Amino acid sequence: MLLALACLPLLAHAQANYEIQVYGAETVAPQTLMVELHSNFTVEGQQSIVDGVYPTRHQEHETVELTEGLNDWSEVGFYIFTSEQDGHGVQWVGDHIRPRVRVPDSWGWPVGVSLSTEIGFQRSAFSTDTWTWEIRPIIDKSIGRWYFAVNPALERTLHGPDVNQGLGFAPSAKISYDFTRVVSGGIEWYADYGAIGNISPVHKQQQQLFLVTDLNVSPVWEINIGVGVGATSATDHLIVKAILGRRFDWGRHSLID
Amino acid sequence: MISRRDLLKLSSFAALASPVPGLVRGLGAPDYKIDIAPTTLDLTPRHRLKTTAYNGHAPGPLLRLKENQPVTIEVANHTDRPEVVHWHGLLNASNVDGAMEEGTPPILTNSTALYTFTPRPSGFRWYHTHTMAMNDLTRAQYSGQHGFLMVEPRDDPARYDQEFFLALHDWAGYLLASDDGAMNPGYAVATINGKAMGFGEPLRVKQGQRILLHILNSSPTEVHWIALAGHSFRVVALDGNPVPTPRSVPMLRLAPAERVCAVVEMINPGVWVLGEVRKHVQALGMAVVVEYENNSGPAQWQQPSELIWNYEQFAASQPADSLSESPIVVPLVLESKFRGHGAMEAWTINGNSYPNARVAPLIQGRRYRLQFINNSLDDHPLHLHRHSFELRSLGTPLAAAPEAPRKDIRGIIKDVLLVDSQTRAEVEFTADNPGATLFHCHQQNHMDLGFMMLLDYA
Repeated sequence: MLLALACLPLLAHAQANYEIQVYGAETVAPQTLMVELHSNFTVEGQQSIVDGVYPTRHQEHETVELTEGLNDWSEVGFYIFTSEQDGHGVQWVGDHIRPRVRVPDSWGWPVGVSLSTEIGFQRSAFSTDTWTWEIRPIIDKSIGRWYFAVNPALERTLHGPDVNQGLGFAPSAKISYDFTRVVSGGIEWYADYGAIGNISPVHKQQQQLFLVTDLNVSPVWEINIGVGVGATSATDHLIVKAILGRRFDWGRHSLID
Repeated sequence: MISRRDLLKLSSFAALASPVPGLVRGLGAPDYKIDIAPTTLDLTPRHRLKTTAYNGHAPGPLLRLKENQPVTIEVANHTDRPEVVHWHGLLNASNVDGAMEEGTPPILTNSTALYTFTPRPSGFRWYHTHTMAMNDLTRAQYSGQHGFLMVEPRDDPARYDQEFFLALHDWAGYLLASDDGAMNPGYAVATINGKAMGFGEPLRVKQGQRILLHILNSSPTEVHWIALAGHSFRVVALDGNPVPTPRSVPMLRLAPAERVCAVVEMINPGVWVLGEVRKHVQALGMAVVVEYENNSGPAQWQQPSELIWNYEQFAASQPADSLSESPIVVPLVLESKFRGHGAMEAWTINGNSYPNARVAPLIQGRRYRLQFINNSLDDHPLHLHRHSFELRSLGTPLAAAPEAPRKDIRGIIKDVLLVDSQTRAEVEFTADNPGATLFHCHQQNHMDLGFMMLLDYA
């Protein structure tokens, strides 16, 4: 999950929801390309330009995420962020790359564990911090019809005004329930507490809750739809999100492999 | 006051120490002894596994029994929970067949039981635990509790120079999400006779020999494909029963609990690999070296390009005489029940899980046709206890009308049949062994979660 391109509480004016997702521990299978389109529309958000950064209200963000499975326990993801808004048109925002490894199933751990790291650039019109880095531990667990995931992510600005603010803490979590084999519903929580050791006051923190549904229509498709509300003044107040993903096997998979 | 525990102890002792009608041995010296106990197995140099096994080995001791000659087997349970041993493929009475569901008493912790029965029919059978594992992928058939059982006919018609017994097994199970949206077992290690490739003794042969392989798939859940590089198999028996039409095939397919007996002509000197055809399974260790005398060097593997197998090729070429009476048809609809993406599926037969799955009582002497209608996304190795059945049809798509013509198969006698997903298959058997009779899927996780049904005689 990359909720914001920059560390939001460190840069409250840089709200920009491009990928709103709590990661599960599973990685994409080898010789498989996962193509995802993240569509996020900010219904109620920041309304004015601050420090040269466009307002988020009525921004439509389309993010293309390409993830290639390397082996049974690793993958690498690449993001193309775009934004569309009245008066600004469609603009390229930036790109990120995200390698990820996980504990193989064969280790028999009682929970899924994964670790991703993400580095990338975003234009200053969308974030005053133009280079950022994130490391994201991922822990998840399915128990019967219940699913739990937590992503206690740490973020750092590499280039920009917040370069000296150190690591920021931006956790997220998800709980969902399988109503049927196809339909699951749940809640996703996204937060950003600011720099570790210098936690932001509540009104500058980011706190968002999304009501989501996952539609498991096929092993090759991934569909996630949600509506989120922000609980603090530093958070976009109403966002609608959707993720549409499709797996493509490009390798020569045969029964004897 | 007698507690439930006491009752279990009494029932265990009574059933196994008392003479059972039709069985002739009592508490005399046993012909074989089996100790069920915790064991540590060295599957590979990197995989030392704590499990439960028979006499400290997996597979356990080879039991060679004489057809129609009564035998007594003493089984001691040194584990911390009740056990039972199923004599798979034998036409035993319910109380010694080795399924608690049929009425065989459990062997309680630190107790000993005597199984006395008259083994029949002749052929390659096996024995194994018949307990539940549920989510614990170290227990029941996930453990090392399995062994070969050979019931030898009074006259052995087979002609071979050397025979080998091989058990295919999967170990160190873990649950992983699968494409059907549920959890299913996966495995970290796969072995032949409890050893991964290169870690066990090779099968040593001589040029010109005919070797007879008795191969058992004792895996808790996995179908396996086996090939011997540089050679072919001449299949002579399925599930221990001679096939009407022995044929040479490039590979074997064995579903869980299935057995194949095959003759191999050793006419291609060298050092070869006998192993799983699928690369990812062989990489887990399921292979053994076959070494000709006076040959050395690295073992050679020839990778097949496809998986080839069908039961029908071993069927009788001529249709058998039709029976005078029509069989009683028993449709059995096999379906799964979703329990969440974080759980294994539950299973139903005609809409009910064990113990609620039921059909009309069997009438002794009547012929029955079980019609398997596999509505699920899984293939199922279906096993009928205490009876053998004849395969009659296979692989009919569910979309086909029930009355649509199908290929009539005759002469293949089995006790386990792999029924493909979304297909129909039919077997026939004669209800000639009164007593409670268990029918179930031999995938451990399926039988654990309801895929069983008790057939009663009227």
